Amino acid sequence: MTLGKKGGYRKNFLLILTFIGLMSVLFLLSLGLAYRFSTKYVENDFASEKVNVLEQSIKPYNDFFQKKLPEVSYYNGYLDSATASHFVDTVQLEYPFVSKVIFYDSEVGNTPVSDGLNIGKFSFGPKNIYQFGSLVPNDSIQLFSRKNKRSFVVGDDFNALALKLVSYLESLDTTHVPSQDELFSAFSNVRSNKITYLNIPRIEDLKIYKEMIRKNLDPKPVYQQDMLSFQLDPYKIKIINSRPKLYQFIKIQPLTYDPLETSEAYLSTEITLPGPFSDFKLYFMSSKSFLDKEIRSYFWPIALAILVFYSILVLVAFLIYRNLNINQKMFKLQYDFVNNLTHEFKTPVSVIKIAGNNIKSAASLTERELGMYGRILDEEADKLNGLMNKLLAFTQIENKAIELNRDEINVHDFIESTVESHRLKHPDFNLSYEVSGFKTFITDPVLLGSLFDNLAENAYKYSPAERKKLHISARLIKGKVVFRFTDQGIGIPASEINNIFKKFFRIQNQYNQNGSVGLGLAFCKELVNFMKGEITVKSRVNKGTEFKIVLPYND
Amino acid sequence: MIGFKRYIFLIVMALCSACQQNEKARTIPVDDFFKSQDKIAYRLSPDGKYLSYLKLQGTEQNIYIEDIATGAGKNVTSLGDKRIVFYFWVSNNELIYYKEVDAAKSQSDVFIIDKNGGHQRQLLSSDKSRLKVLDDQLIDNKYLLVSSNKRDSTVFDVYRLNVRNGNMEMAARNPGNIVDWRTDADGKLRLAMSSDGVNTTILYRNQESEAFRPVLTSNFKDTFRPIAFSHSKPNIIYAISNVNRDKSALVEFDCNTGKELKNMYCNDTLNITDAQYSRKKQKMSFVVFETWKKEKHFLNDSVKLFYDNLDKLLPKTETRIFDKDNAENVFILRSFTDRNPGSYYLYFANTGQLRKLSDFNSSIHEAEMCEMKPVSFTSRDGLTIHGYLTLPLHQKAEHLPVVVLPHDGPGDRNLWGYNPEVQFLANRGYAVFQINYRGSSGYGKKFVAAGFKEWGGKIQDDIYDGVQWLISRNIADPKRVGIYGTGFGGFIALNGLYLNQGTYACAASNAGVINLFTYLKSIPPYQKPNLQMFYEIIGNPLTEVDRMRQASPLFQTDKFNAPVFVAQNIKDPGNNSGETIQFVKNLKKRGISVTYLENEGDTIFGKNQESRRKFYTTLEEFLNINLKRK
Repeated sequence: MTLGKKGGYRKNFLLILTFIGLMSVLFLLSLGLAYRFSTKYVENDFASEKVNVLEQSIKPYNDFFQKKLPEVSYYNGYLDSATASHFVDTVQLEYPFVSKVIFYDSEVGNTPVSDGLNIGKFSFGPKNIYQFGSLVPNDSIQLFSRKNKRSFVVGDDFNALALKLVSYLESLDTTHVPSQDELFSAFSNVRSNKITYLNIPRIEDLKIYKEMIRKNLDPKPVYQQDMLSFQLDPYKIKIINSRPKLYQFIKIQPLTYDPLETSEAYLSTEITLPGPFSDFKLYFMSSKSFLDKEIRSYFWPIALAILVFYSILVLVAFLIYRNLNINQKMFKLQYDFVNNLTHEFKTPVSVIKIAGNNIKSAASLTERELGMYGRILDEEADKLNGLMNKLLAFTQIENKAIELNRDEINVHDFIESTVESHRLKHPDFNLSYEVSGFKTFITDPVLLGSLFDNLAENAYKYSPAERKKLHISARLIKGKVVFRFTDQGIGIPASEINNIFKKFFRIQNQYNQNGSVGLGLAFCKELVNFMKGEITVKSRVNKGTEFKIVLPYND
Repeated sequence: MIGFKRYIFLIVMALCSACQQNEKARTIPVDDFFKSQDKIAYRLSPDGKYLSYLKLQGTEQNIYIEDIATGAGKNVTSLGDKRIVFYFWVSNNELIYYKEVDAAKSQSDVFIIDKNGGHQRQLLSSDKSRLKVLDDQLIDNKYLLVSSNKRDSTVFDVYRLNVRNGNMEMAARNPGNIVDWRTDADGKLRLAMSSDGVNTTILYRNQESEAFRPVLTSNFKDTFRPIAFSHSKPNIIYAISNVNRDKSALVEFDCNTGKELKNMYCNDTLNITDAQYSRKKQKMSFVVFETWKKEKHFLNDSVKLFYDNLDKLLPKTETRIFDKDNAENVFILRSFTDRNPGSYYLYFANTGQLRKLSDFNSSIHEAEMCEMKPVSFTSRDGLTIHGYLTLPLHQKAEHLPVVVLPHDGPGDRNLWGYNPEVQFLANRGYAVFQINYRGSSGYGKKFVAAGFKEWGGKIQDDIYDGVQWLISRNIADPKRVGIYGTGFGGFIALNGLYLNQGTYACAASNAGVINLFTYLKSIPPYQKPNLQMFYEIIGNPLTEVDRMRQASPLFQTDKFNAPVFVAQNIKDPGNNSGETIQFVKNLKKRGISVTYLENEGDTIFGKNQESRRKFYTTLEEFLNINLKRK
């Protein structure tokens, strides 16, 4: 039996070891995976977040393109050099990437021009050309005028957009209102580092322009058009690094930039700038060690989560182990009980067997022998019956299978009868009692009797021969019935006092070598609980024990 | 006893709540305010025997002619979906009408037709030129004197139009600066007005064979409007003039000397805006002056008697004469008040009888309309500004939500009378505040000139001062003042939002001017001579760029901080629809709540019922959310 138990322990231990081992492996594996995931994630981010950086950095340009550029049209051709200069100042203040602006103060008419564009009868040429910008010296603001052409050639910017205008006029459907986008694209020209914009005239004027290609109108109309050519410097674009922990360096580089000395220690990516900046790109670079910080910032939270999860798992495992242990102890107690009970049953059974054998083998029985065997058989059968009743009652109470009877009893008479029966049983038992505060109360007399019997039996059993005394007191205190059973027995050590009401528990000593199953006090506790009362114990070793039972007073 | 009292109390309560229910003004459907009539443009034949009008049947509009004596009548045209812009009788038997070709460019074809519908002939095809009739009498029973810009779209020459065959023969060639021609009682072309854009010169000749010679030159700030030639003395004309005075007067003017002979009616406080000449009596009948409403001063007793008689027949209403026969016996007139759009009547002077023709708008019930009260306040620089306040019905004039309604411009004004827009807003529970800000006509030439180049300047201050005056009188709830206008009214509304931050809870603009540069650009070629004048009124785009940029809402989107409602007609040639869209976009980018409504018809003149309903429903909702519930 002992060997079996030990084997059980060893098996558990092995299982636990295996479990912890596997768990650790899993833990390490998930940490590893988490790290790899973080690395991949950061690398992906490194490749994809550049779009956001581009978007935010290029926002001022989009603003300039969508909001500021159309403002040229608001002036409807009335821009002059002073207003244009003022306009350029506000543009440069707001949008530093505009480096220089050339303003072509132009006219559309039917009279051919020497500088500009003549298509059919339509002419489009500049009256004056100015340049504005922070680096333009004051004496070279005016580049061209009809009177003083200097040596300036009207140039490509003007002609390109003028041609675009004419081809748009050629294809203009005068019965429809052209959409804003259509007009915008026809009146602007986006080239490398340069945007040329011509103010968009009213639809009515466009229709007249179209007519002017074919025929001379009378009187010769002249329309003012303002063309502005914005020179842009991509290096002046303010880079907004929305992910400073991801990108260590962001630079604007020509599209062809491809450094040879890209070492292993660096990670790089790039994205082309839109519109007039399309010859340039944003070049992103980060050292591996720089990225490691970012990777760690992703990894640590994941690792922590895994750790928490693992800890909970270990805790659960420990709790399961503890419960198994307790169950094992319970099993041991039950085993002991069966052992004791078998012993208990064995004695009367063997006595009955011997008595039976003696009666069977005896040729004749004397009157005295007959009486003796009869008494023995009767006593032992009673003993067996008592044992079985006790066991049955206990199981019933524990399973709440019986019902509580409610009878009125006279406390005096009840205690008197209990005391009497114990005096009869044990003539050396010194019993005394007192009752105060009440005379009768309602309870189940059978259960109460059983309770009294058990406690009295215990007091007798656990008292040395010279001090077999028990004092029972019954009082009514604060509406409750309080019974005290005070003996002068061997007492209960403080270390055991918490266990005495447990099932199958017995204190190992000389007083209970036989005839005890360890059920008595557990049974008492069950009974009191069943009767909705409480049982407590106070004890001093070798001085005595006092059990206190508090029951409700149902008057 | 107590139970009995409570019972009475309950009954009283019930009665009170019933009363309150009745007191609440009914919400009148939008369409009812603006309902167009099925019979408009009443006219009389010269002999006074026939009555004509434009009759709307379904979607088709035709000239309908009715015999006054018998009442029998019929359609004389059948035009399908085309509209008649204008028509008139040229003889007892013939009418001329303008058929609309392109509403946006005011282009029309001109036809002549017999009163029984026969002999319809086209006199002129639109072809981008415009035709103005100088005198609606036929000369030699076949010629009509007209002016047309068919030779040059920027100038109008005078032609003698043969209504029999449609031939046009030039009667006078415009040297390039003549802006108006006038005929005398015999239909002779003897007066012309030339303009260099700023100054107007009156040109006169004794006979058609002579050459015109200048007699008087006046600035555009002055008014000199010839009304009629004197019958007895061919060199004398009657004219409304404010040359050398602030308020206009009716004067006799000698065209030979170029001198004013006498003041026929003049007053330091009254501004004459119109005068009536009787061809039959060959005398001036009365002058019209504007105070808070149009009033008449009679220049002879028989006319006074005539109008006194009318006043007895139509008490407490204003009457306007629309047409009369040559004998001045049969009249077509319309009556109206501020709360009643009124009716058309036929009036027989000899019998003193009145015959009702039709209601102007039968859906409007006078009792449900609100009174339009003239008010005035003093601006910060001491000018008296006049205006009108219309309070919602059955509401205490305290702490009301207010819609400020600046009129269109330049040089327009608000006048007392039935105004569907005002009544619509008042019916929806708003106090409507109209202000004749400086620059408005009718208060003398100084007042008009005070508004020059003050767009976004003192004009805006006048509106602001008016609102403060209304707040100080506890009528307006300072947190619930909105501003809404059409054209330049819309311009003022949008200006108010950023120039007077915090004054207005919201602004609505219908076909509003948002860019003064575009406004100047949109002046049509035939008005080019007036460009210099517009520069003086609006601003010179070459020298005053900064001020005009400050005043133009389009440039100032960064300063808007309140909800805006913008409506525009994308086919309106006076506006650049792209700019308005850009304006809305810029506002939206700044997170301003913008309600934008686009239509392709014409909401201003109320021809397109569907788009008009949509506009006013949106306006109602916009004001409800941003003004009433604030």
